[in-house]
Amino acid sequence: MEEKKYEVVLKVFVLQLGAMLMILPFVWLVSTALKSPGEVFTSGLSLIPEKFMWSNFTAIMDQAPFMLYMLNTVIVCTGILVIQLLLVIPAAYAFARLDFTGKDVIFLLFVIQIMLPLESIIIPNYLITKNLGLLNTRTGLILPFVASGFGTFMLRQTFKQVPKSLEDAALIDGAGHLRFIWHVLIPLSRPTIVTFSMISIATHWNDYFWPLIITDVDRVRTLTIGLGMFVQQESGSDWTLLMAATLFVCAPIIAFFLATQKSFIKNFLTSGIKG
Amino acid sequence: MKRKIFFSVICALTIAFASSASAKVKIKFFYPVGVAGPLVKVMNGMVADFEKQNPDIDIEPVYAGNYNQTMQKVQTAVMGGNPPDVAVVEISELYSLLQMDALIPLDGYIQKEGGKAFLKDYFKGFLGNAYGRDGKMYGFPFQRSTPILYWNKDMFKAAAAKLKAVGLDPDRPPQTWDELVAYAKILTIRQGNQTKQYGLIIPGGWDDWIFEAFSRQNGSQLIKSDGLTVTFNTPENLEALKLWVKLMQELKVCPVLRPWNITPDDFIGGVTAMMYYSTGGMAKVRKTAKFNWGAAFQPKHKQYGTPVGGGDFHIFKGIPKKNQDAAWRFIKFMTSPQMAAHWSIESGYVSVNKKGYNLPKMKAFLKKFPQMKVARDQLKYAYPKMMAVNYQLIRNAMTTNLDAALEGQKTPEQALADAQKLMEKAIKGQ
Repeated sequence: MEEKKYEVVLKVFVLQLGAMLMILPFVWLVSTALKSPGEVFTSGLSLIPEKFMWSNFTAIMDQAPFMLYMLNTVIVCTGILVIQLLLVIPAAYAFARLDFTGKDVIFLLFVIQIMLPLESIIIPNYLITKNLGLLNTRTGLILPFVASGFGTFMLRQTFKQVPKSLEDAALIDGAGHLRFIWHVLIPLSRPTIVTFSMISIATHWNDYFWPLIITDVDRVRTLTIGLGMFVQQESGSDWTLLMAATLFVCAPIIAFFLATQKSFIKNFLTSGIKG
Repeated sequence: MKRKIFFSVICALTIAFASSASAKVKIKFFYPVGVAGPLVKVMNGMVADFEKQNPDIDIEPVYAGNYNQTMQKVQTAVMGGNPPDVAVVEISELYSLLQMDALIPLDGYIQKEGGKAFLKDYFKGFLGNAYGRDGKMYGFPFQRSTPILYWNKDMFKAAAAKLKAVGLDPDRPPQTWDELVAYAKILTIRQGNQTKQYGLIIPGGWDDWIFEAFSRQNGSQLIKSDGLTVTFNTPENLEALKLWVKLMQELKVCPVLRPWNITPDDFIGGVTAMMYYSTGGMAKVRKTAKFNWGAAFQPKHKQYGTPVGGGDFHIFKGIPKKNQDAAWRFIKFMTSPQMAAHWSIESGYVSVNKKGYNLPKMKAFLKKFPQMKVARDQLKYAYPKMMAVNYQLIRNAMTTNLDAALEGQKTPEQALADAQKLMEKAIKGQ
């Protein structure tokens, strides 16, 4: 069907307007991060600072070792994701494709895990971590999150959609479980895996409470703790520094999303699970 | 022979070195950051000063988030059998810590320092929250504040003619509740439906704390000092809440539930002529406000009155005696005149040690910023902040019901009665 020209123009206009609205808070964040404190709350709306305060960034680096925090965050998020994938893919395969006794009950337990908020299990987690001698270690930051009920559920649904005939064909060609997973299921489920990875990274990138509870030393602390230092209760916040720190913390995540957005969007177009 | 002597000297040195290394006491110190500014750095600097003077003690300062998060980190660590040695926690949490049997009394240490003579150097208003129900002292004041009234002198001057017309002095802030209403009415500037300038902001978020001040000014309180008897629903408190509702709903001279941490920016940005706020916000106002401003006692009704706020030091149970002793030395150092004054200048908190105000450094500072004196002087009328177990639940009951009344979802009577019920339940939950 041919689209009429005015339809295209209208569509693009509406979409661009939407995009502008979406991006405005981010532009505002960047702008505030570069302003001086006196400029933040002026009556008129001005997005371009009078003078670019790059010193805001040196000021936050001065308050906490943000580069070290960044390194720790990357290590922890990558660690969680890699182990999650190693565990989630076989588990999802088992639930989607194999038959064994107690399958439904075990799957239900996996799904229940999605409903449990972290806060409700923080004391047992703390005790286990402490007894394993993992307080103040990156391993302690990774371990409680490696088994993801959410990921298992998500991938199981995707694996179920793969036609049985493909499995039969692979079996006839002599493929075992692992070979079938590697050569057939994973390539077919790539968008779901990418989506799950994005959600996992974004979630654990933003984790605050668990790292705050189990770490005491800068050596293993993560970005969100550094960010927390700029949010104050008794006085007003220092908005320019808070925004500079926020920008530093979220920039890698945004870059990551931009790099992988094609697969991400593709998955939302094809899969039935949202969010 | 020579060799033998040489050998024994080496041995002695080794032993001396080894024992000095092992004698170094390691102290873990949890602290929250409540006010803006590079306070993590200031704290680390103070810790370094202490270590320089006390080479046998090694302090590990641990930033633990805001007040609520610090309390949660402390609670988790205590329950996990891994308590910190010393921590700064919000003052209303004392009873919860005592219920967990987490703290040691400090009376022994204080006796050794000279007992009452030693405590005389500290402001009495700040010591009220340090005692448990058994009369023993479990906390030691450190970063302490009170709410005060900030006023924009330039805005008062701009409205001088109108203020004088009704017999109000434009060169001073309101001193009574009635004056507060009168000033706020005149200082509010409206253009059509839009409010260009508010007369006053009573911020939300910690409105329970400001409400406690109004309650005190009216001769009442929210929870009695036994930490058991809830007196939230009293005629005096009802009068206070009705005043708030009048300011926000009827006269509209005060915005409804302005977020706590935006309020200083409203004041600095000229959105409001007055604000009730913690002294903790003073450093920020001082550094960024581009107009003449003053700080004043909160206006009185039956009397002047205010609760104190902030955080106290605590020493924990379940750690070696030598750690507890070292922790006390640390507390003593941090609240010494020099350090208390330094912390006050950097943060805007009140120096808990009276002698801090006699130091030349502090005197010079106060000369430049006389506003900082107000919080200290208001301490004459300060009462201990309410304390009770399950304080976080209680605070939640108070703020949600105050908020509902201020937003007009509940009548003031209903809100006070509902909060009273929830607070009693939370206390009985022990």
